[in-house]
Amino acid sequence: MARTTDGIEVEGTVVECLRNATFRVELQNGHKVLAHISGKIRKNYIKILPYDRVLVELSPYDLTRGRILYRYRT
Amino acid sequence: MNSAHFTSGMGEHAVLITRVAERQWHAVEDDRVVGRGDASRRPDGRIFVSIDAWHGAVFDQLADAMLADLPKPLYTVVDEADLDLTSNWERAGFTTRRREWEYLVPTDPRVTGLGSVLPPPGVTMVAVGEAEEGPLRTLDRVIRDEVEATVGWQEMPAEVLPRPDGATLLDPSKYAVAAQSDEYVGLVRLAPVTRQPRIGLIAVRSDRHRRGIARALLAHVLGSLHRRGIETASAEVNESNGAAMALFEGIGARRASSNLELVLR
Repeated sequence: MARTTDGIEVEGTVVECLRNATFRVELQNGHKVLAHISGKIRKNYIKILPYDRVLVELSPYDLTRGRILYRYRT
Repeated sequence: MNSAHFTSGMGEHAVLITRVAERQWHAVEDDRVVGRGDASRRPDGRIFVSIDAWHGAVFDQLADAMLADLPKPLYTVVDEADLDLTSNWERAGFTTRRREWEYLVPTDPRVTGLGSVLPPPGVTMVAVGEAEEGPLRTLDRVIRDEVEATVGWQEMPAEVLPRPDGATLLDPSKYAVAAQSDEYVGLVRLAPVTRQPRIGLIAVRSDRHRRGIARALLAHVLGSLHRRGIETASAEVNESNGAAMALFEGIGARRASSNLELVLR
């Protein structure tokens, strides 16, 4: 099997819940991205709310978009 | 593990779909993972799938590979507002099996109107974390059997997590109960999510229905949250459960979002 690399993963804070099941997340470097939640989070009914600290995978095609992989406990 | 090759049509590079574990699939483009598929079996035996992909074409290829490998029926959950994801699954043949509403439930008695609600005569409320485990397990078993004998847990938003030996996974610290004589007759489970607790389950023994016990349980739990400074809780209700929807809407709860459970038979 070929060696593969995962996407870019960065921590951020949810600043806004938007329509279409998307969230605006401010990354640690101050950039803001639009993020969906991952399928695993959805399947496990994990709620994402403003001020949640999350791990985001950035899209390799568009660095302004991402996917929330994990919600840290606060 | 199985591998399949596809051309994505998005660029110059082909996307390789690989089953990397028994229930995990990767879409790889130019040695980079650009999509993931996952399948997991719930305690009730149903298989739920999910796909994360940056493009619809990759989603379709992952879905093709997963659906070819997995036994039907298959299930998934989508936020109804996520139109792209919903349409991706519909393209793969999934159809809506049920809808559940997420309610935001106010805790302020001036809003809920529950400030003057008292338990029916002979019924007392036992606060969250103060229930005895033995009677709570007995009540849980009774309610579980009643649900299984009627609508079944597949219609319940609340996830039920049995232990490997079949006993109920039950954490008394998350339950408030209604007690009558020397037994428990109703319960409410409150997940202590920071800032917005979640009402995971509210249930009363069928032989004690229509006495106001569920309303009294809600009054008790929401009142205690309000005194702790928490303004709202959340709760999911199956759209077909008219009684539960009426209970929550009657205390001022409002619908915030909806989830669809999709199935491929």
